[in-house]
Amino acid sequence: MTDKLLKDFFSENKHEIVDNGFTRRVMLRLPDHADRGWIVWIFAAIGMAISLYLGITTGFIDQILIILKHVPIYYILGGVFCFPLVGTAGFYLTQNKNYRVI
Amino acid sequence: MNNTDDIRWVMQVALFDDKRAFDKLTCKYQSPIRRFFLNLTVGDGPLSDDLAQETFIKAYLNITAFKGLSGFSTWLYRIAYNVYYDSVRAQKHYEDIDEHVIDNQHHTLNDFSAEKMDIYKALKMLRKEEQTAVLLFYMEDKTHKEIASIMNCPLGTAKTYILKGKERLTVYLTKAGYGN
Repeated sequence: MTDKLLKDFFSENKHEIVDNGFTRRVMLRLPDHADRGWIVWIFAAIGMAISLYLGITTGFIDQILIILKHVPIYYILGGVFCFPLVGTAGFYLTQNKNYRVI
Repeated sequence: MNNTDDIRWVMQVALFDDKRAFDKLTCKYQSPIRRFFLNLTVGDGPLSDDLAQETFIKAYLNITAFKGLSGFSTWLYRIAYNVYYDSVRAQKHYEDIDEHVIDNQHHTLNDFSAEKMDIYKALKMLRKEEQTAVLLFYMEDKTHKEIASIMNCPLGTAKTYILKGKERLTVYLTKAGYGN
């Protein structure tokens, strides 16, 4: 009974507060952070170094090169040119969830 | 929008200083945080907005301190709680607000109503800690554990605040004719 009374009382008084420019005012007051973009480059460099090391020691890179020698150049070019298309589509789909293909 | 979105936005702010991501977080949580302050300050709209702004700015500046052990909402409420108690300690605005001041505050609110006056009167019956715990539990739907984390106190203490607040409020509301 007590809990119900209080829950009813508080739910009656629970209202959503409209933004009315509050978020904009907060954003205007935000100070600038130091640029931390370098973190991405450090992780990218470490990832590349590990990949290269593993590729060379396991012979994976050599195998890839041998396979590529036997693939027609048009296939490789096709793959390279498709990459920006696929990347752009993927980016668009993840950033804009309202997007529909059909 | 769920906690996964919160984590993603926090990561974007922490790693890339992505202000658009922080804008989304602010937009999502402005209403509950402002409502929390509005109730704690018994209806002082301008003050609660100032405190809410301070909360979001502190959250932005200390975003790397968020470890994801609790939800982002709980973390944000904890900052809000600290901001509020810093303000109380500074005693800028909270030295026994008298009825005259409250009347003036309500007069400036567009959505003034008798029910709101009742909730503020009811909350004034409680100690600050009880107010906070009761509001978090009944208004903001936080669990006992989350309230203990927000108020940085043992679980038993948080439960006691809620229980004592509940008792006082029940007496007040019953006398005021609620639940009849």
